Amino acid sequence: MSARSFALPRTTVVLITALVIFAPIGLIFWQSFLNAPFFQPAKHLSFDSYAFIFADDDFWQSFLNSIVIAAGMVIIAVPLGAALAFLLTRTDLPAQRSIEVLVLIPVFVSPMVLAFGYVVAMGPVGFYSLWAKDVFGGIPWNIYSLTSIAIIAGLTHVPHVYLYSSAALKSLGSDVEEAARVTGANPLQVALNVSLPMIMPALMYSGVLVFFLGFELFGLPLVLGDPEGHLVLSTYLFKLTNKLGTPSYHLMAAVAVCIVGVTFPLVLLQRWLLKTAGKYVSVKGKAARQKLLPLGAWKWGAFALVGAWLLFTIVIPLSGIALRAFVSQWGEGIHVSEVLTLENFQGVFDQPSQVRAIINTLLIGVVGGGIAVICYTAIGLAGHGQRGGISRILDYIVLIPRAIPGLLAGLAFLWLFLFVPGLKELRNTVLSVWVAYTVVWLAYGMRLISGALLQIGPELEESARTVGASGARVIKDVTLPLIRFGLLASWLLIFMIFEREYSTGVYLLGQGTEVIGSMLVSLWGAGAIDQVAALSLINIALVAVGLAAALRFGVRLHE
Amino acid sequence: MNKLVVEDLHLQYGSNLILKGVSMTLNPGEVVALLGASGSGKTTLLRSVAGLEQPNRGRILIGDQVLFDAEKLIDLPVEKRNLGLVFQSYALWPHRTVFQNVAYALRLRGIASKEVDERVTKALANLGLGALAQRLPHQLSGGQQQRVAIARALVYNPPVVLMDEPLSNLDAKLREEARAWLRELIVRLGLSALVVTHDQTEAMAMSDKILLLNFGRIEQQGTPEEMYSRPRTQYAAEFMGSNNHLPGKVTELADGRARIEGDGWSLWGHTGDRLNVGDAADAIIRLERTRVADGPGENRIGVELVTEMFLGDRKENLFKLGPLRLRCYGDVAGGSNNWLELAPRDLWIFGKTAAVA
Repeated sequence: MSARSFALPRTTVVLITALVIFAPIGLIFWQSFLNAPFFQPAKHLSFDSYAFIFADDDFWQSFLNSIVIAAGMVIIAVPLGAALAFLLTRTDLPAQRSIEVLVLIPVFVSPMVLAFGYVVAMGPVGFYSLWAKDVFGGIPWNIYSLTSIAIIAGLTHVPHVYLYSSAALKSLGSDVEEAARVTGANPLQVALNVSLPMIMPALMYSGVLVFFLGFELFGLPLVLGDPEGHLVLSTYLFKLTNKLGTPSYHLMAAVAVCIVGVTFPLVLLQRWLLKTAGKYVSVKGKAARQKLLPLGAWKWGAFALVGAWLLFTIVIPLSGIALRAFVSQWGEGIHVSEVLTLENFQGVFDQPSQVRAIINTLLIGVVGGGIAVICYTAIGLAGHGQRGGISRILDYIVLIPRAIPGLLAGLAFLWLFLFVPGLKELRNTVLSVWVAYTVVWLAYGMRLISGALLQIGPELEESARTVGASGARVIKDVTLPLIRFGLLASWLLIFMIFEREYSTGVYLLGQGTEVIGSMLVSLWGAGAIDQVAALSLINIALVAVGLAAALRFGVRLHE
Repeated sequence: MNKLVVEDLHLQYGSNLILKGVSMTLNPGEVVALLGASGSGKTTLLRSVAGLEQPNRGRILIGDQVLFDAEKLIDLPVEKRNLGLVFQSYALWPHRTVFQNVAYALRLRGIASKEVDERVTKALANLGLGALAQRLPHQLSGGQQQRVAIARALVYNPPVVLMDEPLSNLDAKLREEARAWLRELIVRLGLSALVVTHDQTEAMAMSDKILLLNFGRIEQQGTPEEMYSRPRTQYAAEFMGSNNHLPGKVTELADGRARIEGDGWSLWGHTGDRLNVGDAADAIIRLERTRVADGPGENRIGVELVTEMFLGDRKENLFKLGPLRLRCYGDVAGGSNNWLELAPRDLWIFGKTAAVA
């Protein structure tokens, strides 16, 4: 279906998409091969910046730390996520629906907030640490070690594995499991010999995803790695500015290219895994009726496992933040009742910049999220119903932003907004942050939209064409009305993601572009713990509103 | 070998009664077909025997071993029942080769790998799968997948093999061949099998005994011959074959026979129901027992030919009698006006209320 009248808007959409994706990336690449910031007159092409960082021991140490943490996360998150998915989708574990909602919480809470939560709950003078000290006479953990960072990062990324493995398990017919039962396998043998091997492609996919997310980790190592000086690549890049004292954009760009050099192949690997996964599923039997596996006496052990994970990843950090937000100070020998206060919130509302941050965050989530969904829909429709050509190109270019960590994307957009005529004027508006957010989350948004578009049988649109509707009319009268609910659901999910986002705004932070996420990074750097606590709690509340709405309207929290 | 006994099995989901007291026995070396429409509870009964469903009442035994007893709270886990089950979808494990699929049960039983090799090889050879051992399930045709599923269920010599619609996943053409093949296999290996099917031809062809289920109860059980030729209820009569169907009123009764009349016709047939003169009733006759006659006479009705349909091996004719439509096989000699003979020994009369009770 190639309506000629429709070719122009389609091409325009593709060109704009390509421009907002390639302009910042191109700039980073170009900058990395200059010997000075690109806006300085005295600059020429060279490998100086690479030579500099490759000669820096800190760079290699951060690189190693990134790999250790990412690998540790895979080792922790994949088995736990798979176990959780099996328990929650294939067995008769009680309260599955409620547990599933809890499991997804870490996906929607900013890692910056979570990291801060661990500091106030389990740091040297954290609430739970002092309590443990009373009981054991000492604190049996140190959350600032590299191992702890890997463990915390691993546990907080369990939901990502859970999402993919539970989706795969749900599409698995229960007949293959019953067949194993009948031939003599007990529930554990069924899980290990049949269910989990059958979702191996999904597990591998999520393993790669977790490794990838580990590689671009920023908030957790920023907060938890600081006290003992553990750097990872993203925090190394963040601290480069301080290293030379001047804006060392060329060095940052070189580090950025190194990070993308690792993440982009990982994105391609994920895509390849997703494709090959289809082969495995071709003989999956009838998924008609799903019969849950009775756990029997194993139920309590399973419950304890899920409970322990929930306690550590959600209850401890979030309760820490909630408590810290309402006390004026905390340390040994202090009683909660003596220090209870609302001053932290007072402090936030006294600062115009922080009030702006809250308003901007709301604006960017509600209005910006809506406009972002409109943009994603336009891109989705441009490739919709097309075979080859444009849709293939789109498929690949929307993947590219996946490979760019938010911190880098923010940096690239900062440069664009600083030096491109016509954009300079927008530098101090929240629009700059919105553009960066929208591009960074492009791949995620596109998955939501194409998920909705896939629900429409092509014959619905084809029959509209045969009765005489033009391509544009079909979209207006058939396609859009049919994906209406999917679009609203996407809006809600994008809202939560935009509320949570923090790293993309870090370099864009300035007068007028404050958002809670980047504000937290900046306040943490300045040591304003009270306000970090209060803002964190406000941030959690905003996400919670989105989550409550999503649950209320029955939005599926995963694709 | 021991016999499988099911006693007074009840099963409900919430307020939805699936099985309402089913009892049956399966003797060693016998094949029993569970026949019924969808929702009749046939698959649920099979799955209850396998241990995949939990009945609310009743007992299931194999010989002296109690698999399930609601009163004594005995419910042997699925994996301890040692039964073979062939799934409708085959449920082959796609990540294991044919050999590994079949060998899995033996490995679970801790059998030494040399013996596993021997037994799997023998089982595969028995089913004509010798050359396919190293293939993955998705590299097999539907018929081959079915054989692997059967090999997998037989390799550990279960006392009873359960089969859930074993032929329904095959193409119509392949199904007839597979039916003959499966029957041969059962006879050759002397299997005791419980087979679920919704196809009466399949049930008759494969089994020694048929249990016809209707909404969780046994409607009738017997040999295929009895079930086809001597249905005791209208439901059984309708389910087991293709029929002509004439609703009317009982006008006369005489030792096991009844006369039924409708608009412009009157026929004698035999009946097992307790009927009274004036009752509404249905006259039912198999299509192949309906014959074209050369003129009027006893138990003959005048009909008008509507159309003829060529079916390949025979011809089917459609006649009308007022609002009624009647079918029969064979050639029609004359023009549009014909006579059909519905012999009294082939015509069953079922009372309308009796059929429901």
